[in-house]
Amino acid sequence: MLKVKNFRKKYQQHEVLKGIDIEVDKGDVVALLGPSGSGKTTFLRGLAFLTPGDSGHIEFDDQKIDIQTATSEEIKQLRQKMGFVFQNFNLFANKTALENVEEGLVIGRHIPKAQAKQKAQEALKKVGLLDFQNQYPSQLSGGQAQRVGIARAAALNPEIILLDEPTSALDPELVADVLQVIKQLADEGKTMIVVTHEMAFARDVADKVIFMDKGLVVEQNKPIEFFDHPKSPRLKEFLSRISAATVAHNGFEYEKATIIGNKES
Amino acid sequence: MPPFSFKFLVSVFGEVLPYFPVTLLIIVTSTIFSTLLGVLIARGQLSQSSVWRTLSQGYVFVLRSTPPIVLLFLIFYGLPKLLLLTLNININDWQKSIFVVIALSLLFASNLAEVFKSAYLSVDGGQREAALMVGLSEWQAFYRVTLPQTIVVALPNFANTIAALIKDAALAYVIGLVDMMGAGDNLISRNFGHHSLETYLALAIIYWIIFVVVEQGTKYLEKRLGKSRAIASNPVEVTA
Amino acid sequence: MNISFLIHTFWLAIKAIPMTLLITGASVLIGLPLGFLLAWIKIKKIKILYPLTIIYTSLMRATPMVLLILLFYSTLPSLLNVILNRHLHLEIKIFDVNPAIYAIAVFALIAVANLSEVFRSAILTVDPGQQEAAVMVGLSPLQTYYRIIVPQALVSAIPNIGNLTLNILKGTSLAFMMTVQEVTAVAKTAAAYTYDYTEAYIDIFIVYFILGAILQLGFKFLERYLSRHKVRGTARQGA
Repeated sequence: MLKVKNFRKKYQQHEVLKGIDIEVDKGDVVALLGPSGSGKTTFLRGLAFLTPGDSGHIEFDDQKIDIQTATSEEIKQLRQKMGFVFQNFNLFANKTALENVEEGLVIGRHIPKAQAKQKAQEALKKVGLLDFQNQYPSQLSGGQAQRVGIARAAALNPEIILLDEPTSALDPELVADVLQVIKQLADEGKTMIVVTHEMAFARDVADKVIFMDKGLVVEQNKPIEFFDHPKSPRLKEFLSRISAATVAHNGFEYEKATIIGNKES
Repeated sequence: MPPFSFKFLVSVFGEVLPYFPVTLLIIVTSTIFSTLLGVLIARGQLSQSSVWRTLSQGYVFVLRSTPPIVLLFLIFYGLPKLLLLTLNININDWQKSIFVVIALSLLFASNLAEVFKSAYLSVDGGQREAALMVGLSEWQAFYRVTLPQTIVVALPNFANTIAALIKDAALAYVIGLVDMMGAGDNLISRNFGHHSLETYLALAIIYWIIFVVVEQGTKYLEKRLGKSRAIASNPVEVTA
Repeated sequence: MNISFLIHTFWLAIKAIPMTLLITGASVLIGLPLGFLLAWIKIKKIKILYPLTIIYTSLMRATPMVLLILLFYSTLPSLLNVILNRHLHLEIKIFDVNPAIYAIAVFALIAVANLSEVFRSAILTVDPGQQEAAVMVGLSPLQTYYRIIVPQALVSAIPNIGNLTLNILKGTSLAFMMTVQEVTAVAKTAAAYTYDYTEAYIDIFIVYFILGAILQLGFKFLERYLSRHKVRGTARQGA
């Protein structure tokens, strides 16, 4: 469904992305891992043209875009197929949770107001925040805000959802709820690319894990293979550096959330 | 209305620039006095004593609403009367510039007090605590750690306030002081009201140059005093 | 001290308040949308217009208010007379136009320049993430601007808009130079007969204190009301 070829990006002299090739099939959940500075966030933002790349090609279904010559019309068309979940949530500060979700439906997709409201409420219900629909972003906890962010992206029913480190700005005890919501989307068959540091989550939810380092894709594989039998020395080193304790801890939190989540639903 | 004369415009500079020192003197002395008074009022606003706090906050609140020209006339007409009535001191023969400096100092002390207060409050209290914990006295902590940071933070707002002071100093001519504005006003009278456009334009250009000098000087100072605090400064944008 | 004059003139000054408020209110209201427009030009660095707005803003902010008033009032009516009547033969009685119109024009010009700076910095304080989120849910740049950015910028600009309004209010005390019958002019004129200038200026001082106090409190209230959702604090958890 999505093919990216030779994606490159430079900041002044510094080459951040040195030609990324990836492929995502419909229904896939792709986890993008790598040390900080590896360019994974830059790549994800580049896919949505938030910080456009310098060169390369993006193929989305039958739309083909040359990054260098992309027109604003092409970008608009591409973005319509995408939802984006930001690291810092970026909820519209002047709008309530419900209005945040409605905004894209009414203005972006031109869905009638009443119908949009219904859809938005459904989306909020899915992330467990229907009771918070009239709260403003500043009145929500980080975890709640990010769940609204996910609802906002998902409500538009995009073909793919890009999630940029969705839990890295959250306090540890709020991470689990958000991961739970993302897993729920995965179970529904949503196509997603997730930039994340949550190893246990990647292992459990992803269909494919990609490891990036220094602006290149170093290794990609199915999660079990990826974590249990890493091939490249750089990935081995990366995995060994992440202490077993962190993985175990996050794994535990995540399991707990799954149980709580099940109880709620 | 005679046609616009570029030649006249140029000649205006020769007429009014000799009075630049008068304007400058008023600006400099008012800046000094309003800074001193502003520091006192800022201290009062941050004081433990509720009497001082109320007094200085009240001062700022009242003076903020006072139009410069009103205060200027009030001082010019009222102060001699007041001193004569209460203390039997006759100041009617004082130079007009003194009244201007008093009015501007009183007025801008309130603006500057706000600038100093918010700059002082924006410096993290942890700085003082850290200074005390490494053995500095309360005064040393203020003088060596808090004050330098306060100055850097206050600088952009201080410059904006002084820019406003410079502009309001142009009102001095209404009580008959002959500064640059006064000289321009006299010039127009001598020409029976003609060439007022050229005269005012020339004056506007001079004020614009002063403004740009102050603006650029501040930018230069800001850079020199360190970029570390640049983020904390949030210049008040209004100078009208 | 001439107490009866003080009281009598105070009531005269009170009656002139509507004129003072009209000039202040009209010029700020005209200044708000135009200020946003100039701020937008500055931020987007629109060709040709950008340097013009920069020069305009700098000149208006650098020139003393009294000088601007003199400059416009000594020039504008004659200029309009020449253009409209002598060249276009419109036969408009320029010199009979209510001077309040000129006052509003001058103060609006000042307000626009200052508000453009207020809005420029307010817009720049809006988190860029807001714009990114807006394009990702399909808003056009214009929609993003007036549905997301402007409402947030307006809230953070309220204290500065309050300051500007207060400064314009104080500035109207110079409108007597344009023969506008506002508070200062009325009290001054009354004093001209009896030379009770001190009393007249005490009256003006009190009137401005009352107006200024109401304005300051009003904007404090507005600020508190608009930021009841702490609109500006939203990115905190993420930072």
